[in-house]
Amino acid sequence: MSCGELERLFVAGAPEEEARAHRAGCPSCAALGNDLDSAARIFSTLRTPEASRFFIASLQAIPSRTVDCEAADLLAAAELEGEISAADGERLAFHRSRCEACAEAAGVLADARGLAAPAPAPWVLGRLAASRPEKKPRASIWRLVANPKGAIALAYAAAVVVMLTGFNPADLARKAGVARLEETAKMSAETAGRSLGDRIGAFEEDAVRRLAVWKGHVTGYGRAAISRAIQLVMKTESQPPPSRGKNGEEKGYLRKEETRTEVWRA
Amino acid sequence: MNGTEEKALVERCRRGEDEAWRELVDRFGQKIYSVAYHFTLKREDAEELAQEIFLKIFENLHRYDGGFPLVAWIVSLSRNLCIDRYRRRKREKSFRFVSDDAVAPLLTSQDDPAAETLQKERTKLLFSALAEIPEDLAEILVLRDLDGMAYEEIGQALALPDGTVKSRLFRARAEVARKIRERRESSGGTFASIAAVAGAFV
Repeated sequence: MSCGELERLFVAGAPEEEARAHRAGCPSCAALGNDLDSAARIFSTLRTPEASRFFIASLQAIPSRTVDCEAADLLAAAELEGEISAADGERLAFHRSRCEACAEAAGVLADARGLAAPAPAPWVLGRLAASRPEKKPRASIWRLVANPKGAIALAYAAAVVVMLTGFNPADLARKAGVARLEETAKMSAETAGRSLGDRIGAFEEDAVRRLAVWKGHVTGYGRAAISRAIQLVMKTESQPPPSRGKNGEEKGYLRKEETRTEVWRA
Repeated sequence: MNGTEEKALVERCRRGEDEAWRELVDRFGQKIYSVAYHFTLKREDAEELAQEIFLKIFENLHRYDGGFPLVAWIVSLSRNLCIDRYRRRKREKSFRFVSDDAVAPLLTSQDDPAAETLQKERTKLLFSALAEIPEDLAEILVLRDLDGMAYEEIGQALALPDGTVKSRLFRARAEVARKIRERRESSGGTFASIAAVAGAFV
């Protein structure tokens, strides 16, 4: 067992001579010193093991196999956007297989995309709907067409435009070779005209006939009325004066002078 | 290369300059592989570990602020990976058994086969002893005596004061030396015969 002086001298960086002087006077440190010298001789005979060239070359190729943590962050962002090359993807995957922090960060980012949307409380939607400002409907051609006034205005506008451009639908029909349609239309119009004349003629005849009948009736009624009036006049002159009622008025007959007046008027 | 130049190199690597990354690998690839080998004692495992360390370096370049030497920053980044691998190896049944193949890449070529055999046995003995000491002592011994890092760099990499680094290093050496001596004493005959054949003092 050493006295500890050799260790103190070594730690203090004392000269070798000082240690040898102590070993000469201290038997325990002398034995330790001999052991140390023996071990040192073994160390001195060893050489450094040499790495092969292939191994050194594999070390030089490391940048093509992996990335550092900072580059991994950038590549992870590109990966989320799908903008990472196959080679960079392999380097990133290799780095994550070795770096727990980067693997964890990638896992958190991936999980964030799959999170469910938070559901609002039932009253929130009602309140939101109630607080939504009324939206003025946007002017749209379809809304204008749906409105009758708008449709009429549009039709007028279209007609004006057509007129201004000198567009004639008949020309279009002619150009399209619809002459037969034109003839048919003409014939239909003629037929309709003839039919209308016939109907007017028939109506006229019927009206004349009815007028004649009506005229006859009126004449007959007139004659009957005159003859009736004459009969009344004659009957009045031949009969006695009518009796009076309880209230002093006559019962159903005219006074003589009134009757005469009526006759003359007639 | 001073701190400013190292910072500039890292910035160029961050900007994606392949030439800068090749320069960084050329400067530190061999050293990191060596550290990885000393922790794993197997070529395949060392390559895998060094590859993992450089991937981590590349992915953490934005964290380097030039506060201390790049090699110290790299070792501090790789420390946990190395310790993890070291603990994994420690759980194996054959951990304390160091094979000839494991130490072969560490041996210098010898003209004398007997001397070569003796060196191989000594080296196996060294790593067997190293496997028996605490991790915090073993890592400092590896970084200093096997990988030649400066006390200051080790202190920066492990976030320890220089005094603590030296103290732990002394204790690590003492522990390893004691274990080597104990093993040699327990199998003294074998070593004495090898030493006699080799004509060397053991």
